[in-house]
Amino acid sequence: MKRNKLRYLVILVLLSLVVTACGGGSDTASDSPETTEAPQETLAAPATTSPPPVKLVVWAEEKVATALDPLVGAYEAAAGVDIEVVVYDFGQIRTDVQTAGPAGEGPDVFLGAHDWVGELAANGVVAPLDLGAVASDIFEVGVQGFSYGGEVYGFPYATEAIAMYYNKSLVDGVPTSWADVKASCDAAGTELCVGAPGGGGGGDAYHMHPFFGSTGGYIFAFDAGFDPSDIGLDNDQAIASAEYLDSLVKDGTVASTDYGASMSAFQEGRAPYWMTGPWARGDASAVDYGVALIPQFDGNAATPFVGVRGAMVSSFSDNKVLAQSFILDFFATVEVQEAMYNSDPRLPATKSLFAIVEAADPIAAQFAASAANGIPMPNIPEMGSVWGPVGDAMLIIRDQNYGTNEETGVTVNTATDAIKLAAEQVRTAIAGG
Amino acid sequence: MKFSSILRYAFLGIFNAGSVYLIPLIITFESWFLLSVLIFIMFLINFTYLTDKFAALKWITPGVIFMFSFVVFPAAYNTYVSFTNWSTGHILTKTQAIDLLEARTYTPEDQRGVEFDIYIFEDDNQEYYFGADLNENEFLFGKAVSQDLIKEATFARHEPSLKNSSGEIVPPEGFKLLLGKDQINLANKLQELSLVIDTSTRAQLYKISVFGSSTGRLLSTSQRYSYDSDNDILYDNSTNATCSSDGDNFLCNGESVDPGWRVFVGSENYKKLFSNQRIRGPLELVTKWTFQFATLTVFLAFSVGLLLSITLNKEKLKFKRLYRALYILPYAIPAFVSVLVWKGLLNPDYGVINTWLDPFYTFFDIEPIKWLKTKESARAAVLLVNTWLGFPYMFLITTGALQSIPKELTEAAKVDGATGVQSFWRITFPLLMVSISPLLIGSFAFNFNNFTLIFLLSGGGPPVIGSEVAVGWTDILISFSYRLAISGGRGNLFGLASSVTIIIFGIVLLISALSFRYTKRLERIYGNI
Repeated sequence: MKRNKLRYLVILVLLSLVVTACGGGSDTASDSPETTEAPQETLAAPATTSPPPVKLVVWAEEKVATALDPLVGAYEAAAGVDIEVVVYDFGQIRTDVQTAGPAGEGPDVFLGAHDWVGELAANGVVAPLDLGAVASDIFEVGVQGFSYGGEVYGFPYATEAIAMYYNKSLVDGVPTSWADVKASCDAAGTELCVGAPGGGGGGDAYHMHPFFGSTGGYIFAFDAGFDPSDIGLDNDQAIASAEYLDSLVKDGTVASTDYGASMSAFQEGRAPYWMTGPWARGDASAVDYGVALIPQFDGNAATPFVGVRGAMVSSFSDNKVLAQSFILDFFATVEVQEAMYNSDPRLPATKSLFAIVEAADPIAAQFAASAANGIPMPNIPEMGSVWGPVGDAMLIIRDQNYGTNEETGVTVNTATDAIKLAAEQVRTAIAGG
Repeated sequence: MKFSSILRYAFLGIFNAGSVYLIPLIITFESWFLLSVLIFIMFLINFTYLTDKFAALKWITPGVIFMFSFVVFPAAYNTYVSFTNWSTGHILTKTQAIDLLEARTYTPEDQRGVEFDIYIFEDDNQEYYFGADLNENEFLFGKAVSQDLIKEATFARHEPSLKNSSGEIVPPEGFKLLLGKDQINLANKLQELSLVIDTSTRAQLYKISVFGSSTGRLLSTSQRYSYDSDNDILYDNSTNATCSSDGDNFLCNGESVDPGWRVFVGSENYKKLFSNQRIRGPLELVTKWTFQFATLTVFLAFSVGLLLSITLNKEKLKFKRLYRALYILPYAIPAFVSVLVWKGLLNPDYGVINTWLDPFYTFFDIEPIKWLKTKESARAAVLLVNTWLGFPYMFLITTGALQSIPKELTEAAKVDGATGVQSFWRITFPLLMVSISPLLIGSFAFNFNNFTLIFLLSGGGPPVIGSEVAVGWTDILISFSYRLAISGGRGNLFGLASSVTIIIFGIVLLISALSFRYTKRLERIYGNI
């Protein structure tokens, strides 16, 4: 008898798996074709006998989804559609729209970062989104970020760029030139000066962009789109910038810290400055902080990388026009934008929201000013070959990790060598990939 | 009938009902492979649990099904991917790619940005008509047609009577103006329809409004691309270019059109690994370190574990249980946590380790070690942390194995005049190896692919200066293949990365096979003692 019981248990487990499997499958399969066919039978029938409402699936990261979820009710009621906001891990959205979309199970609308656009468009999983009249309300850098191959692929709802946090109890503000930064740290008598993070164990080309891109260096030339054949990482200005960064590291202005270390240094008052973005405001609030522009390089404004987040339409959506309408008529409204801002305070991408935020939050305005000087991160797929080499070069300079590689015999003794090598690596990777 | 039989038939019935329900669903997805798998599983389950012929099958069938779906299938799929060009720009099937390209529309340069109100009318036959309020002088009205009927459609005509002087829309006799929810419910039908204005221009919906009118825009009557399946040629109607296929992309005027599609490329990926110097150089470097890493890790963890278990195996030792419990602790803490803690400890500037070592550095007047930032220190750190993570397991298994070795043997050796060291190396250790070596092989194979540790601790870094592909000094094969998968020249190189994992699989298989043979020999020699 005991043996029998076990047998049924196994069958039961198997069975429940099968049952859950078909439960999951049926949702997606059943609602797409039927909804359009049915109205034909019900001639001029009122909405009460109409088929189940059209459904739009929206993938969003947790903070945005929580803000969005209570709001979509209004649109659902007005439009008679069913909007399902699915909480998704942010990074996972990028990979999953590419697998779920072609398999016929993806979202209609998803929220993501502009630097995915090149990859997603190359893979054919994102549909162009004509911004129409809404475009005039969006900051130029946001539209640029979502432009790829002559089309715009998303409605930008937030931008983000790094700026300089400063500890008000240690320094008065952020000097406008790097030369004065060191002096202010010496006056404050802190252990470190500027925490310029390199993320994780690898380098961080994102945080370090102002150091090589402010005086004329660039990764890809930008002219209505990024050009992967024109790499300006090792032009004269970029080399001069790398050498300048090297001198800043040598005199102790820029500390050799990764993200976590630069954060704790700032929180503990061991460093008066911290170069990072608006997402760290909660962490920075351990001290009385202010935010200002990153000091200028040789009279040129620092150009941080600007990340843009936006709503995109899947090219595998059955309801592209409705998805587009949802974004432009509902998602883009200032009420929704404001609610999302309150849940996840990133820099507004629309002028109307910015006007609201600016008055209420001068720190956000500082970040916005910093973003205005910046350029969007290149969104072409070739950017995948850039993060590694450039991050490594920045890491070599920031950690003063010069030396010779025994295997290849290549010597990197100076910042110039490092940035030149990175440029070469990027060129070879793009040519060979 | 017995209660158990009733239960059995009930469950089988539910299972079959569920499966039968799935069949039409799978057919709508056109996934024939999945269908054949489902039918096979149905057959297998019914056969197993309805007959009493193969009692053993009743126990192993579920296990076998799970093994196939979670081990064999992913491995086979991975092998398949390694023979394809699967990468950024090539993730769709050719049919999907062509469908997407053929669905693309375009607006001639001079008509871009034109937006106007579109009103949707429905007649008694559920046919839809669009009214496009282009400007003050043009209110175009006509039947909205689907893509394939555009060429035959009659052109929209100017119909000023539809809009009265106060701007209200007056539907013509027999028509109903669709508003709000009515049009939204039809959205995915209406989005396919166009109002043909003249031979080259049509109006299409671009936004369906909840309140009031919807918005339209002008498009060219022809789609952006049309595909000629007989000659495998794509025509670009906006530039009149003829685009030929180069195997996995269409080339228009020498430029490839995204998206491409995935194809079987045979051994292309493997050739690239071995012939492309750009990849081969780093691959050799990484392979060498992977072997060193896996071997040293197992050796160090085993040595520490064995030493501790021998020490704690002494009978007279007090608080033995407490010590044992303490030594198991690193094993009980998830590696994700302890690796990150170690990473903090190892920070060269602010980490505890360098702070402790500081007096030592000053006494000998040497440079502080830049943990994780130079080749040697990073490799040492990876080994150190992995030894910490691995020794409790070794300690656990050797303690068990030691206790199962009969005391009489060492006592007999003592009587025969062997020293403690002699009896350990000649008797205890060989006997230990008989039971432990399969576990050591397993540990080797595990560490060969210890992605978690490398990824969390060093991220593969520090970078190898001068290498043409991004690679770090502590990268092992699996983390290198991860780098290849996500940071190729143009995004992801899944095909190439899969071929690296197949090579890893081959190496691990070979080593395991050889080692097990060696273990068998050990058993033959010492098994009789």
